[in-house]
Amino acid sequence: MIAFRYTKTDGAEYISHLDLLRHIDRILRRAGIEVGYSQGFHKHPRIFMGNPLALGVKSVSEYCTVDAATDKDFAQLFNRFSPDGVKCLAWKNTEQNPNFAESIKACRYEATGLAHFDAEEILSQKEIIITDMRGRTVDIRPRIYSIEWHGDKLVFTLCCGEKNLRPDLMCSYLKELYGGEAKVILKTDSFGDSVF
Amino acid sequence: MKHIDLDSLRGLLLKCEKPSRYTGGEYGAPASEGENFNFCACYPDLYEVGMSNIGIKIVADSFLRRGMGVDFCFAPARDFGQGLRELNVPLYSLALKAPLSEFDMLGFSLSYELCYTNMLYMLDLAGIPAEREARRGGKYPLIVAGGPCTVNPEPLADFVDIFFIGDGESVDADVAEIYMQCGGATEEFYRKISELDGVYVPALTTPHYNADGSVERFEGISHVKKATVSDLDGAIYPENFAVPNCESVHDRAVVEVMRGCYRGCRFCQAGFIYRPVRKRSVETLTRQACGLIKNTGYGEVSLNSLSTGDYGKLPELIKSLKSELPPEVTLALPSLRVDSFEGDFAQDARKTSLTFAPEAGTQRLRDVINKDITEEEILKAAKSAFDAGYSAVKLYFMLGLPTETDEDLKGISEICEKIRLLYSSQKRAKSLRISVSAATFVPKPFTPFQWERQADEQEVKHKQDFILKHLPRGVHFSWSAYYPSLLEAVLARGDRRLGKVILSAYKNGCTFDGWDNLFCEDGWRKAFDDCGICAEQYVRERGEEEILPWDFVDIEVSKKFLLSERKRAYDGKVTGSCLSGCKGCGMQKMCPAARGEI
Repeated sequence: MIAFRYTKTDGAEYISHLDLLRHIDRILRRAGIEVGYSQGFHKHPRIFMGNPLALGVKSVSEYCTVDAATDKDFAQLFNRFSPDGVKCLAWKNTEQNPNFAESIKACRYEATGLAHFDAEEILSQKEIIITDMRGRTVDIRPRIYSIEWHGDKLVFTLCCGEKNLRPDLMCSYLKELYGGEAKVILKTDSFGDSVF
Repeated sequence: MKHIDLDSLRGLLLKCEKPSRYTGGEYGAPASEGENFNFCACYPDLYEVGMSNIGIKIVADSFLRRGMGVDFCFAPARDFGQGLRELNVPLYSLALKAPLSEFDMLGFSLSYELCYTNMLYMLDLAGIPAEREARRGGKYPLIVAGGPCTVNPEPLADFVDIFFIGDGESVDADVAEIYMQCGGATEEFYRKISELDGVYVPALTTPHYNADGSVERFEGISHVKKATVSDLDGAIYPENFAVPNCESVHDRAVVEVMRGCYRGCRFCQAGFIYRPVRKRSVETLTRQACGLIKNTGYGEVSLNSLSTGDYGKLPELIKSLKSELPPEVTLALPSLRVDSFEGDFAQDARKTSLTFAPEAGTQRLRDVINKDITEEEILKAAKSAFDAGYSAVKLYFMLGLPTETDEDLKGISEICEKIRLLYSSQKRAKSLRISVSAATFVPKPFTPFQWERQADEQEVKHKQDFILKHLPRGVHFSWSAYYPSLLEAVLARGDRRLGKVILSAYKNGCTFDGWDNLFCEDGWRKAFDDCGICAEQYVRERGEEEILPWDFVDIEVSKKFLLSERKRAYDGKVTGSCLSGCKGCGMQKMCPAARGEI
């Protein structure tokens, strides 16, 4: 299997998860990299993506595994045949499927455009109750691992996976509280055993 | 050229449905600015529809191969269009993200009449005045239009600088070269290009009308011959398609097997305006299909033409494709006629539903329209489909065909009944689904029915009710709304006076007229009222001696032939396919089939 890290930038951050899956399938076909197919009635290519990224959030830290092998430079091949903004940054051969959707536990993001506030103040709260996109009330405080300012940039780490917190939701919470508006949100890092 | 920064549109993109329609960056899309000339191919419908269109890809390719810059633009859905307005951001091209006004030429592809307001919508969003006169002397791109609708360009003559009539792959880029030679849209430029086949400059022609609304004469240039690519096999064809960001209507590789159709169905405009039939060879098509699959990564190749079953070497082509393409690639054969349908082709497509277009309910009426299919053939094809595992049938009919009576409508339910009997004559795993869809007949220019009137609202309503009453139980029936069909006929058969109606309809909020859910009938009705123009006047029967608004266009099928076909229709005589011998439509000199090349 090939595990790789790739980007979703330059407009590609608006491509939906499902369309992106289709794109990766086609990139590999164009590159002539043969992907194994699932057995069963509806055969599908064995492409294992990480958790879906919220639409409009850029990333330089997306992960994917494909059931394929190559003796060539995978990144170079992939990038020659991929659309703008979907570019492979690193890759490796692997025996086992790292199952990125499960194994990535947290992600770090940066956002510009939000109004300054005291990051400590957020972290000192015991609970932060918000209404999520489905109208449920959730305490997001346990899902916020870090939050700090790097100049004009807000850098924050959120829980990913089962107790996922969407960075765009986080930013709109901050916007409501302190004003400003996130102009760009970028996922910079992922954390978990499997990442490289 | 200036560029729009996508990040500045983030808020808007996130509010809109399918934002990846507006971000560009598709793999395979051309993305470099031309040094001397930039062309933007504009398709006045949504991204998913426009990205599936093969015509604009061919035309764009003809510019690219001459080293000119090429980009694409589609009509944004209303949510995004409204958002651009609010942000005061002009409509921009996909790859370069350049405002449309920065291009040298905007080429609109007009595939169907109900997209006309969308052309005005796109110009408006681009901040370019819709009316030709208002652009005069300003620094605006040339606004040009091509596609099948331009065989009657007059309804859009107020808005378009240059119409391309016929095959666009060579002449469009020729015009761009002359533009550069002349240093812009000078008088000399217009004079020079108006001498080319396939180029119509509406500023050089003035129609005069009689008191009764018919055309009196054309002043100025009164004859424009369509452009014809004589060697389709050697004609350019894109080696690469831009692969859409989000799923499109036809998300697959397409090869154009033939252009034109031998059949000459009397209602079908494409069957006349794309004459003569020209073909690509098995070798060329195989090479193109393999190249496209390799370059796009698609898993399906569609063999397109008006009637792919009439491609004489279809079995060889399929054999060749199957041996040369990767094994997992499937073939799609749209537009297969009933009589050329074979069960073993169908199994390839893994579909459950099969579509037939008998168009009319009885043999008599099918003879009138020269739809040379018998009920026996339909049933035979249905049987082989059922035996191959198909369990759903869609049937397409037209209502309001010349000479149609209730008998013919009854014929529709009889066909359904027979298909049902056929299905139940054997034990089958699934239950049968039949759906009947009935469109209102639109008499189009350059067909033998161009003189016919269109059935009025009451007649159409009666026909729909009649079918609904007589259809066997369980058959699903759908029909098209009356007013959009009337409008389609009016715009297809219209003249220059309709320009103000189209503009007024646009101002009343009409866009996406081809979309049932977005169609705004009130906006159109008000536009006709405000302009003092009677829509019904345009769908009246035309006199055979009348000068028709599109008569200055020469599609090289003779009017005499169309008239004789009209007469044969009324006599109930089938003329049949060109494959059974030349029928003398006027194109004999340039027609491969007339020379016996089939």
